[in-house]
Amino acid sequence: MAQAHWTDRYVEDRARAAGPGVDPTEYQRDRRRDRAHRAAVTNEVLGYYGLRVKDWAGSKYLLSDGKGNTEIVQDLGSLWPAAERILGRPLDPLDPALRERMLDGALAR
Amino acid sequence: MPSPGKPAKRPVTVVTGFLGSGKTTLLSRVLLDSAMSDTAVLVNEFGKVGLDHHLLRRAEEKTVLLGHGCVCCTTRDDLVEALLGLLDEEGRGEIPPLKRIVVETTGLADPAPILFTVFSHPVLQHHYRVDRVICTVDAVNGRLHLDRNPESTKQIAAADVVVLTKTDVSEASPIDALHARISGINPSARILEAPFGAVDPDELFGDGAVDPSPSGLRPFDPIELGDGQHVSQTHSTSLTFDGPVDWTAFGTWFSMLLHARGEDVLRVKGLLDVGGSGPVLLNGVQHVIHPPDHLEEWPDEDRRSRIVFITRGIRAEEIVDSLETFSGLTGAKPQPLEANLRV
Repeated sequence: MAQAHWTDRYVEDRARAAGPGVDPTEYQRDRRRDRAHRAAVTNEVLGYYGLRVKDWAGSKYLLSDGKGNTEIVQDLGSLWPAAERILGRPLDPLDPALRERMLDGALAR
Repeated sequence: MPSPGKPAKRPVTVVTGFLGSGKTTLLSRVLLDSAMSDTAVLVNEFGKVGLDHHLLRRAEEKTVLLGHGCVCCTTRDDLVEALLGLLDEEGRGEIPPLKRIVVETTGLADPAPILFTVFSHPVLQHHYRVDRVICTVDAVNGRLHLDRNPESTKQIAAADVVVLTKTDVSEASPIDALHARISGINPSARILEAPFGAVDPDELFGDGAVDPSPSGLRPFDPIELGDGQHVSQTHSTSLTFDGPVDWTAFGTWFSMLLHARGEDVLRVKGLLDVGGSGPVLLNGVQHVIHPPDHLEEWPDEDRRSRIVFITRGIRAEEIVDSLETFSGLTGAKPQPLEANLRV
């Protein structure tokens, strides 16, 4: 098992801080909720690039572009490089074009 | 920050700074203090300046480039070996329990790989934590280094504490200008002066539990940069948010930024209100992010997020605009802070 990406440390740390003797299903519930939220947030962004992630067996994510390109990624640390491979360019949050599309998207809602 | 159930990790302090900026002099002075006797020191070479200390070890910088070949995400094999060796000696009772480890880098070294090594090694990450990065700046030649070497700007950006050395031989006015210049690059760094290499170890290392720099939102007067053109490539952006930030969404934005522009994000440091009882302590040097600490409580009365980004070639407006765009996801709008702040 590789080291948890920094964005995933929260849930792990919380579980460890709770210590032994804590109901393990609570951690699982926490973790599931966290993963679902992460996938939803990430999809809000990936949608602007025609990409999508799906939780895969609760341990990985499937990243796909709807044209048959799919990659399995572990976390956000490997998601962005994989998305760049599929798109052929990095996804830059500072890109003014992304900003425009996101603002339009927010207005359309 | 030790939390119950977790054994305390040994703090690692990285001392960086240009060749001749007084790293070794500073260390040799500080190590004379009896409080420093259980501190191990890793140096690149046993220099001419006699560093006399019973826990002195040599770790010749050997960098191993990993995977995608990004320079900051490299493992220092020498460091792995030396740090594992110390654990071993400590375990066998050959040396006293280590209170701290100081790693001295060579003048041109980028501190990021040291951080990366400690955070990512499967064994080291459980026994050590990076406590702080100290950067020495020579009060006499500091300006010259900053003008000529982009590495020195990077070192200051990575620092938590900047020590101005040789203030005894420099005039007062260049020292003031250097103060301003350093704060201009890295408003989150604490600046200490060390005439004759003398600085109180307590001030330098604190109690080793957390960085002792004031974590309050402590605005001070906006700084006039006397020598703007040389720092024009480096921008620092201080901001807060108008409410709690969704940590997951912030992580999405920031990991995306680091992937796309990581080499130009020299530093991030701050306290983020994520709606919990305490903030998240965020600290990163280029791609290398400290494991974020979710603190139990705020260090002071002020419970607003405060975060500093130090970037190269990325303007403050770009960061703020981008966070504004993502505010639908993070749940809070960024508010730039006029004055510089320390975190």
